[in-house]
Amino acid sequence: MSAALDLADIQGGILRAYGRQGFPKARYFFLTIRDPAKGRAFVEALRPKITTAARWKNPKRGDPLLRTLKPRVKDVVRAEGVPDYPGEVELMKPKVAINIAFTFMGLAALGVPTRTLRGMPDEFIDGMEKRAPLLGDDLWLDRRDAVWRNSSGETQVHILVSFNAEMNPDGTPTDDLETETRRLRDLCARSEGGVVLLSGNGAGDPDFQQLSAILRDEDGNLTPTNKEHFGLSDGFGDPVFLGQFSGEAERLRVAGGGKILPDQSWAPLATGEFLLGHADEAQEIPGAAMPIEFSRNGTFMAYRKLAEDVGAFDAYIGEQAARYARQFGVSVEEASETVRAKLVGRWSDGVPLTAAPTYAAHEAFNAELAAAQAAKDKAKLAAMALQFTNFNYREDPDGRVCPVSSHLRRGNPRDMLDPHFSDPPADWDGSALVNRRRILRRGLPYGPYLPGADGGGTERGIVFIAICSSLFRQFEFVQQQWVQYGLDFNVGSDTCPIVGNHVAEEGAAPEGKMMIAADPKDSNGRLFLCDRMPQFVEPRGGDYFFVPSMTALRMIETGIVDPT
Amino acid sequence: MPDFDGGHYFFTAVVPVCNRGIVEHEGMKSSPIHMVREALETLPTALQSHASEKVGIQSPFARSTRTHFARFVILDQPYYNGRDHQDAILATIEGTDLLKAQPHDRLACPYLLVMIDFDPADRSGAGEPRAYLEHLWEVMEEELKAVFGYCYGFPQVHGATGFADFLIGCQIETTMPFNDYWTGPPPLKSLSKGLLLAVLAVAAAVGGFVTWKGHLHWWLAILLILLLLIVGILIDYWLIMSRGAKPFPASGATLPRVLKALYLQQAFARFAADRQGADPAGTGAAFRAFLRENQPRDLAEPTQKPGVIRTFFPGAAA
Repeated sequence: MSAALDLADIQGGILRAYGRQGFPKARYFFLTIRDPAKGRAFVEALRPKITTAARWKNPKRGDPLLRTLKPRVKDVVRAEGVPDYPGEVELMKPKVAINIAFTFMGLAALGVPTRTLRGMPDEFIDGMEKRAPLLGDDLWLDRRDAVWRNSSGETQVHILVSFNAEMNPDGTPTDDLETETRRLRDLCARSEGGVVLLSGNGAGDPDFQQLSAILRDEDGNLTPTNKEHFGLSDGFGDPVFLGQFSGEAERLRVAGGGKILPDQSWAPLATGEFLLGHADEAQEIPGAAMPIEFSRNGTFMAYRKLAEDVGAFDAYIGEQAARYARQFGVSVEEASETVRAKLVGRWSDGVPLTAAPTYAAHEAFNAELAAAQAAKDKAKLAAMALQFTNFNYREDPDGRVCPVSSHLRRGNPRDMLDPHFSDPPADWDGSALVNRRRILRRGLPYGPYLPGADGGGTERGIVFIAICSSLFRQFEFVQQQWVQYGLDFNVGSDTCPIVGNHVAEEGAAPEGKMMIAADPKDSNGRLFLCDRMPQFVEPRGGDYFFVPSMTALRMIETGIVDPT
Repeated sequence: MPDFDGGHYFFTAVVPVCNRGIVEHEGMKSSPIHMVREALETLPTALQSHASEKVGIQSPFARSTRTHFARFVILDQPYYNGRDHQDAILATIEGTDLLKAQPHDRLACPYLLVMIDFDPADRSGAGEPRAYLEHLWEVMEEELKAVFGYCYGFPQVHGATGFADFLIGCQIETTMPFNDYWTGPPPLKSLSKGLLLAVLAVAAAVGGFVTWKGHLHWWLAILLILLLLIVGILIDYWLIMSRGAKPFPASGATLPRVLKALYLQQAFARFAADRQGADPAGTGAAFRAFLRENQPRDLAEPTQKPGVIRTFFPGAAA
């Protein structure tokens, strides 16, 4: 029996990523509160517009398994004719999903009582800037956007309002996005200085962060993709937790998304890992700010703007590919794709190395997929869709197929950290050491998509959003121990080849390094060492936010939080 | 668990601090334990993080190539966790008066807890910890004076021998040594369950034999067999405990060897990266040059310095 969540109490965007739900365009607004009463009035005015997790009907849904280039697990669920989403349909899908979240200082500025505030976790009280040395952000603090550099005093970021919008066929956002933006500005104007929209989100200092999925042009018809600026397909493996999906959908999704039990079966993660006020993987309801109804169904969110240096990435891959091609006697094209896949753990189209370990296997996989698509063989497509997420590292302990230091294995080591990994099966522990380190990844790219071009200094990147009930235990741990360090994977101080720090300080010599273990099919058994790796990704700022439930939002706006 | 384990000496001492009176220093009047804390807080740590690398002041313990790990802790008072727990019904029956305070433990003075893991001068561990403590006095006398200056008995310490006498007098057994250099399980044979069961079986069999030969009464036979089984259990207990008390085998990881290994690991990573894609015909010559340059068998040079986290700095790559 799956736990029924109070969907209309939970904000939207937590259970599902908006980007995948037909909202490829977004604007994120940061606001400061200068008058508590006016701040509460602002929240009150916005509350009726907040999108919740309640199930809606989408009139524009396409044919499952056939409508995208790569079939996805949700298509498998839909093709089986069962609902993917929990709950009853009572709403129509909105054109723009509107959500709200607060920094610690924001909650204080709205007059949330001290007794509630002091129940908040340390890292949330600190905020992302103070946590910079732990996150590896300290090298880049001066390069943050103005909105973050100036986030103190009168211009401290207090509120995040996010608009996630549908897209027109020509690639522009729905007109409703501009309408809602105007309404938000009016609301700020009406507060007479009580709530102020902050500017400084990148070049030209706009007063919102513009985001857009990278679009694919098919005969002038633009469709959103899951690509990011390095040309990699992103966001396949997201945790699956109890209550997030309807019964049958959960059964399908959980393989690859949930946790691995000692008997190697998959089960959904505990709800309390992602929503406060629910039992978590430690089999307890974690401590949270009181009263509990203030915290329950709420969660925490790390917002990070990450600039991607596409020029540096492409140049480095090119350099390594040339060397790889010479060393292994393969084409530069194959070398380039292979090096990229080994750094990431997936081929650039998202096919995991575990499903297609070699370049030839990848080509065969795609040929099989194309044939199934042409034949409209839904059973085949469904089976292939599951391969994108349903795998473990049991057969690949040394990372010969998927390197232990790859971005994919670092972000979610699955069963790799099982302390009894190499013991007899009766002793296996599954993913027990990883279950409390999972994060829901949300977010969208920003900046123009210019593959193969240096972009003339135009900044591009992604806004990375991590959602979890403990930023310290989940997001910060993954970032500090698995992205910026390598000891858990026996790779010493090596950092993540994609998003890790590769220099000791800004402008220092590149010292990123990653070993690609020898392919077992290579009779010479030669490994490939990528070294002198420059910085590819730099943080441009961000903060930690509390995403309240609708109940907590009402308590905040009415000023009746009673922690006694 | 012994103090000497896995080829390393694990030294633990608790040293009482004379916290009476005041110390006048730099225009301030402080308690003696305040001075001890200040001495410890200003004792530099090793250069093992980006932050301490920038500071650049090395830990005095790095002057010794025998120290693996050193830690000082001040024990002010044991934690008081409140009244001893008692079942509410029992408390009522016994008439426990909850308003009557229970006594709780207090220390008469603060203690300095000293924990140092070091290589013994002699591989057998003979002559330790004296030899190490005397060596420590030679390399960091000033710092030791600052840390231990307010401890009972320290004012009478003169010279290395006196310091060793002083600290050995405060030594307690190390009950849980931490063998960090055994990355896998050491080649230890487990005590076989068969042997333990055989001891019990022999005890029971002896009882049975005596019963049979001596035509004992049934109750006497049961008593005898029970008695012999208890003896058997005691023998098993002794077997298990004496096996547990055996020291871990030496891992051979003395500090100079660990430093050389860390150095070689870094040097070889650079060598491997530089040789990638190079003509295999030249690899032999290049590797011989690598061996000449890095002298893997020479623990003295070239090697990593004690107290640092790396030999090769950014810019030098690898």
